[in-house]
Amino acid sequence: MKPLRPVDDVSALPTVTFGPRSLMWWGTLGFMTIEGWTTALLVGSYLYLRQNYEAWPPLRTPYPSLLIPSINLLLLLVSVVPSAMVAKAAKRLDEPAVKRWLLVMCAATIPTLVLRWWELWALNTRWDTTAYGSAAWTIVGFHTSLLLLDILDTIGLTLFFFIKKMPVKAFSDATDNSFYWYFTVGVWIPVYLIVYVGPRIF
Amino acid sequence: MTTLPVNEKLPADVTLSPDELLREAMALDTTWRDKPGVWGWLSAVDHKTTAKRYIITAFLMFIAGGIEAALMRLQLARPENNLIGPDRYNQLFTTHGTTMMFLFAVPIMTAMGLYFVPLMIGARSIAFPRLNAFGFWNYFVGVVFLYVSLFANTGPDTGWFAYVPLSGPAYSPGHRVDVWAQVVTFTEIAALCGAVNIIATVFKMRAPGMSLNRIPLFVWAQLVVAFMIVFAMPAVATGSTLMLATDRAVNMHWFNPAEGGDALLWQHIFWFFGHPEVYIIFLPAVGMVTPIIETFCRRQVFGYTAIVMANITTAFFAFGLWVHHMFATPIPELGQSLFTAASMVIAIPTGLQIFCWIATMWAGRPRLTVPMLFVLGFLFTFINGGITGVMLASVAFDKQAHDTFFVVAHLHYVLIGGGLMPLFGAFYYWFPKITGRLLKESWGKLHFWLFLIGTNVTFFPMHVLGLNGMPRRIYTYLAPTGWGPLNLLATAGALTIALSVLIFVVNAAKSWFGGELAKENPWEAAGLEWATASPPPPYNFIHTPLVRSRHPLWEPTVELPVVVGLRSDRREILVTTTFDARPDSRHNSPDGSIWPLYTALSMGLVFIGSIFSPYFVLGGLGVSLVGLLGWAWQSTQPSGVERVALPDGPIVERV
Repeated sequence: MKPLRPVDDVSALPTVTFGPRSLMWWGTLGFMTIEGWTTALLVGSYLYLRQNYEAWPPLRTPYPSLLIPSINLLLLLVSVVPSAMVAKAAKRLDEPAVKRWLLVMCAATIPTLVLRWWELWALNTRWDTTAYGSAAWTIVGFHTSLLLLDILDTIGLTLFFFIKKMPVKAFSDATDNSFYWYFTVGVWIPVYLIVYVGPRIF
Repeated sequence: MTTLPVNEKLPADVTLSPDELLREAMALDTTWRDKPGVWGWLSAVDHKTTAKRYIITAFLMFIAGGIEAALMRLQLARPENNLIGPDRYNQLFTTHGTTMMFLFAVPIMTAMGLYFVPLMIGARSIAFPRLNAFGFWNYFVGVVFLYVSLFANTGPDTGWFAYVPLSGPAYSPGHRVDVWAQVVTFTEIAALCGAVNIIATVFKMRAPGMSLNRIPLFVWAQLVVAFMIVFAMPAVATGSTLMLATDRAVNMHWFNPAEGGDALLWQHIFWFFGHPEVYIIFLPAVGMVTPIIETFCRRQVFGYTAIVMANITTAFFAFGLWVHHMFATPIPELGQSLFTAASMVIAIPTGLQIFCWIATMWAGRPRLTVPMLFVLGFLFTFINGGITGVMLASVAFDKQAHDTFFVVAHLHYVLIGGGLMPLFGAFYYWFPKITGRLLKESWGKLHFWLFLIGTNVTFFPMHVLGLNGMPRRIYTYLAPTGWGPLNLLATAGALTIALSVLIFVVNAAKSWFGGELAKENPWEAAGLEWATASPPPPYNFIHTPLVRSRHPLWEPTVELPVVVGLRSDRREILVTTTFDARPDSRHNSPDGSIWPLYTALSMGLVFIGSIFSPYFVLGGLGVSLVGLLGWAWQSTQPSGVERVALPDGPIVERV
């Protein structure tokens, strides 16, 4: 092997970074892409099945209800605020504010999961009645798994911040958790429009 | 070349003394080595350890898939043979295809990337080593599940593509198709974990100076394939797990025409994954060909940029030709023309790469070592398969040849020529890197010739059989068809392939434990993977190399420039900028953990349990939650003083 000649010293570089400078952000982006793409494939399949029907929803199937899904959409949009506040506080390394806003974020996000139960029934059809029902339930069900995942992550993060001394990189993790929540909310908007509002249009 | 992105700040005339290097190496070894013992073995996260497990398991799967193929060939060797009955035959061809595609080809190509990408880009590890281990254990659960099922006479039996309605609840009661759907799920998770890892590693962990235009071509191929996996694998996961499995388990109607479902939807979803899958296998192989040609022709590859662009173009087109698998279905004529055109156009970037390699060899001085022989075998075999591919892109021809042995011949020429031959070449080329020992050349040459002859004797007659009307997936045929002699010839070819693989296995086993010791850079190659010991230590490099060109070890300098300053008392890795690879931060890489294994097993409970009852899913999720909590708890252990780069602010030190 050739002799090694040092040409630069990196010991002064930071060890904790935020956003695209951190590896975890890229990992989060990767899984967001995979999950977003899966949602897109499901929505594409839902629209593909539309061709097989004269009417959409099929005859004798009522339109999905709009009340609960619309309330939940509003709640999801509102929950972005505490999520953004967590990220903002984390970027200042302000631990008390992070803890405070994480609690608010839990309080804002957990009800969306509870409402999701009624939101599924607001489809006004069962998964095993028609292909329309199967597609609608699968799309909303898949999004529920994303919702569940990020809410569990938020609860875990909150719990850890309160019961143990967290390493400083946990602040960066908290911003990535918010980043993922924006995605979870963002991907729901087209799903809501297509699955709940869409049947009234096409 | 662009200007040097890293300033040379330290004195130009100082090199590190052997004592300094030894001290640093010892400290790094203590920090990076996975713990000994059974617990340490199960908790290992070193990317090379995980990749070796993948490679060995996947190769065992190749042997298993090969045995299945040999059994099928023995059954078809003569008309009206009764060695294997129709039911077992169905399970054999399904398991053969599933094994070769899902459990051998994709995992082993990804695994080669998981082993070599960090080494080739001068990194100490991979971006997410625990996720990597989690991916492997998922894959391993899938392997065990498929083969336990096969031996329990519950092996899947509806083809590796599991077309509905045959695979739906009405025509395939029992659990055979459920096994297939869940095995696919496990391998998808594994492939996606690998792909995210490769993307983050290549984008953020390249050695300083390795700007995008200096990335080794094998790494480029792996990067492109990782993106393909991110967009292709969710399709089959959606089809198998969210659609087929739910149709079967909870009476959904995705594919039930009586309730508005659509059988063709399955074909669209499956082939939207299935066609890119071929290129997910082929492109990494292409990436292996270039360094082998460069090394053994003693010159830089001709047309670096053209090859990179060809890789990217191929990836794009690969997503635009899935319908050519469906020409026998009622697809609109315009669609047929479009997909015919796309299927022919994809030959252009592939052809371009072949011309670049020929030009490199033409201008170089080829040495016919075993890896180089396999590259030549690749060119010969793959071009044959490519030509029949262009033939099949024509709808009129495809409709004649559809579901005949002609297609079997075509796909094996493409996959064996385009995937397996470069892979064997790569095994001979990088075996010394992984084991520190050389494979025996004479045995390797015997392996190559028998393999090349065996492949052609097996698959060439199948073209003729297909044109004579022999359909695929039949367990026997009548003597008056006249197919007997060519089938017997194909069986003789298959046994020749088996013999050649046996020679390779014996060579590998003997060489691993007692072969000739390899020098650090036995082929005098140019890549960074050869700038460290063979086998590489757990930390890969004592100091991170600095890159000034595409061929760092062919630089006419006496010394190897390196970057110092990473801590050796914890698993610190260097993070660099995405485009220019300037040093940006240091990242504390996680150490060994049992939680990836635990979580993979609990996920196994979810997916395998879902076949039997939805309650298993709920229970399994509860058990998985413990795993995720344990994983997160371990990941948030105190790590001492950190230097934090506040967004838009200064660097501050915090505990």
